[in-house]
Amino acid sequence: MAAVTIPPSSPTQSRKKSNIVTGISQDLLSRKLSSSNLHLAGPPKFDLESYIQNYKGRTRLERLLLIGSCSSFLGVDAYKAAVHEAKHGKDIKRYLEAQTPLETIAPQEPEAVRDTQWMDQQSKLNEIQTASLEKQLKEYKNNLVKESIRMGNEDLGKHYQEIGDLPKAFEAYSRMRADAASQKHIIEVSKHLIEVSIEQRNWIGVTSNVQKIKQIQATPDEERSLQPYLCTADGLALMDSGGYYSAALAFLRTDAGMGSSYNTFISPNDVAVYGGLCALASMERSELNRSVLENSNFRTYLELEPNIRRAITFFVNSRYTACLNILESYYSDYLLDIHLQKHVDQLYQLIRSKSIVQYFIPFSCVTLSSLNEAFAAPGKTVDKELVQMIQRKELDARIDTQNRVLTSVSSSSRATLHNEALKTAKEYEREARRRIQHMNIVSADLELKGGKARGSQMGQMGGMDDLFSEGMGGGRELRSRAYIG
Amino acid sequence: MDSLLPQLLAFPPHPSPQPPLSDSAYDEGIKAQISTLRKSSEKTLRQQTSGGESPLDVINPALNTVPYTFILIAYMSAYSKHGQKVIKLESLWDKITIYLETFDARQMRYLGPEFIDVCDRAASISTNAGQRALCIAPIRDALLRLNPSGSVLTGLHIYLIKYALETRSYGVIAPIVEKPVLYYPGANDQLKPKYLCDLSLSPAAYITINSGFLSKLKSLDIMEYFYNSGMIMIGLRRWEDALDCLESVITYPAKEGAVSKVMIEAYKKWALVSILAEGKLLTLPKTTSSSAAKSYHVLAKPYEAVAQIFETGTASRLKAECDYSSSLWQKDSNLGLILQILNAYQRFQIRNLGKVYSKISIPELLNLTMSAETGNKLSGPNEMEALIRNMIQDGSLMATLSNPPGQPAVLAFDNKGPILTEAQMKAEFAAAAARISRVTQNIKQTDHMLTHEKEYIAHMKKQKASMSKFGTHDQGIGGEMDWNVMDDEELMTGVY
Repeated sequence: MAAVTIPPSSPTQSRKKSNIVTGISQDLLSRKLSSSNLHLAGPPKFDLESYIQNYKGRTRLERLLLIGSCSSFLGVDAYKAAVHEAKHGKDIKRYLEAQTPLETIAPQEPEAVRDTQWMDQQSKLNEIQTASLEKQLKEYKNNLVKESIRMGNEDLGKHYQEIGDLPKAFEAYSRMRADAASQKHIIEVSKHLIEVSIEQRNWIGVTSNVQKIKQIQATPDEERSLQPYLCTADGLALMDSGGYYSAALAFLRTDAGMGSSYNTFISPNDVAVYGGLCALASMERSELNRSVLENSNFRTYLELEPNIRRAITFFVNSRYTACLNILESYYSDYLLDIHLQKHVDQLYQLIRSKSIVQYFIPFSCVTLSSLNEAFAAPGKTVDKELVQMIQRKELDARIDTQNRVLTSVSSSSRATLHNEALKTAKEYEREARRRIQHMNIVSADLELKGGKARGSQMGQMGGMDDLFSEGMGGGRELRSRAYIG
Repeated sequence: MDSLLPQLLAFPPHPSPQPPLSDSAYDEGIKAQISTLRKSSEKTLRQQTSGGESPLDVINPALNTVPYTFILIAYMSAYSKHGQKVIKLESLWDKITIYLETFDARQMRYLGPEFIDVCDRAASISTNAGQRALCIAPIRDALLRLNPSGSVLTGLHIYLIKYALETRSYGVIAPIVEKPVLYYPGANDQLKPKYLCDLSLSPAAYITINSGFLSKLKSLDIMEYFYNSGMIMIGLRRWEDALDCLESVITYPAKEGAVSKVMIEAYKKWALVSILAEGKLLTLPKTTSSSAAKSYHVLAKPYEAVAQIFETGTASRLKAECDYSSSLWQKDSNLGLILQILNAYQRFQIRNLGKVYSKISIPELLNLTMSAETGNKLSGPNEMEALIRNMIQDGSLMATLSNPPGQPAVLAFDNKGPILTEAQMKAEFAAAAARISRVTQNIKQTDHMLTHEKEYIAHMKKQKASMSKFGTHDQGIGGEMDWNVMDDEELMTGVY
């Protein structure tokens, strides 16, 4: 099995340890990843060249930079590729981001030398183009031709996006909406905005624009071509907010045959990985089987990532250890993905605890050693993790440290119900008493008075209002409130 | 005196006739007797019998409560004027206590002012003798005999509880404190029972301002009473009951968002007690007013911080927090509770481990828990074992401790809690049902009182007038409106 290539075979503890060895502190892992500090030493399973071939546009650069900053194995290559990529574009900031680290990690490479000439030239060029596009737009506005204004804004937006000024690009694209004449235009506006928002990690922007497109009554043809786009964009946004179940549903809904049409932000492989991991982390076994493995649409994506399919199959077949091993072996790959990086730890944690819970379900009592065998790395134990899971109420069980077993909690429903009933009765009694107490205090005119003295008549009324505004039950009280009100 | 005696003992007839006197005859007889006695001078009442006996020795307070009361008052007043020349303190005190423990509660209903007088004098006699604690038990019993449900708050309650606090007689006063107070002077004046002697009356009907048992109280008195009850319960370590008492203060109804200092102090105590009772800060009762809640959160910040650390923080942090604000605790006189909390921390930790482990050895426990009193682990397994034994003994930990030979002791948690037998369960349910039906009685009584409020009646009148006016304009709704329609609040506000 492929899992053997990377040493930490599964548990979180051991993985964290290996991370410490490679210089990552724990809190970095806890989702506050500032990518520049993360370093993965091991070789990932993918080939950089073919990986980046999957994408088009600015996301290529972004992905290369992330890999460069996070992987010491691929770092130099990724930065070098990024430098080339950047020089084909117009974004000087990105060029510097790619070139500067090279100065320190690989100063001997030709790409490490800062090409100031290109930078000057390009920045002048950018300025000129910005000015001319703005001017053009102004002229269009003077002529009051809607279509030209729209096109002008679009051109400007594209330009800003290319030079890396995303807020301005977002603004320019947003302005297009005012002059959108047809449904096609509206869809275009939203698509532009979604793309910019994804790069800005502005997920609210993504969701709202996805909603806007959904509201449009498109032709069946258009709808078919838009469906995967909307699902994947929605899925990304949901995944980022931590709604893994909804994200999984969004990815799983994605129609087959998306191809490389949306490779400015997502590739079909990504759909398989994101959808698969989110589903694994949030769905029960039967649901996984039904909506992932037997989902003919999603199967076309899963075929691109056989490891995910294998992991899910193992999980469905209750072979949790095998499933976790596969995932573990791809851990570093997923850490190099721009969207997954933030979530991979949490997703893995969820999958792990779910596996333990599922493993435990058929038993009333399991020895800790068998759990260790299934879930812990050699020489490690799952004890601490179990304690945490029980405390988080994910696992309804108790640990017996003497006989080293985990026992499930047998509940006596009759006694529980009786106790509940007694508790409810007691609460009712207490509550009712307090209400009576309050009513009588108020009717004896004994309530606490504020500093300001009011007329006696007003005071009386205020008192009554207080009494009733506390939400006394009972018909009579409500009635009298109605009279007073 | 000899001439007076037959007259005094004429009522109630003894032995009681068959059939017993009707309520109206009883009412008439006792009223006549009281009016005669109220006219007699103290001197006449103190006359000795021809045999040289004191009338207090002749009359049985349990049968002839009315004359006995007047004679006792006469003696007490003479004692306060002339001292022991008239009557020896010991014998007077004996008479008072016997009287308070045996009087006839039915006759006493007519003797409101006299009853209060006796109690007040008894209290002052014991105070002057430097034995204030002694008057608490007799007055408590008297109050409970007069008012078995304890639901009406009297002036006696208020000073009695202060005495109890002063003299630390927490256990003595507890029977009074644990009775829920529902009625206050002034609230139940609408209840004008035809005959006070009617045995089916609830205490709220005969303990009123009109009958002389009650005098007007201030809101502060009532809050103080509940606050003091809370203190008594804290003194007895009955945390649940203490919470209940303090909640009466923190939810005290207020006008115009007023908040009293007593309420704030009560909240501070309530917060600490809720930690001791439940291990965390409870949510405020639903009836708390929003302005009060706001002030609580602002003014009792350090207390809430303690609660939060207790729930989620470590022992050393809790200790540090408590040490840091120690002058504040002292100022608020809550240091005792804070020390209790520090002591309780490890116990709660151990109990919480019962939610994770089913069996665990003492050395493991030692490693997993820390004492907040020292901010460190306990010094050794023996100390831990002692703590565990202590907890099991006082019932706060459901577990068994076993000592396998040659190995450290093992604690097995019993997660199911106490399992009641079917019969016990049944009894519990019956008790709960009885309590709730009593509450329902109280609700009916309160409802009755509220519908006889002057304001409510005035509104009803106005309502009816405007209804009939509407009736002439609107053909749809008749002058007599159906109650069911009136129940609809929205419709009513719409009409207005």
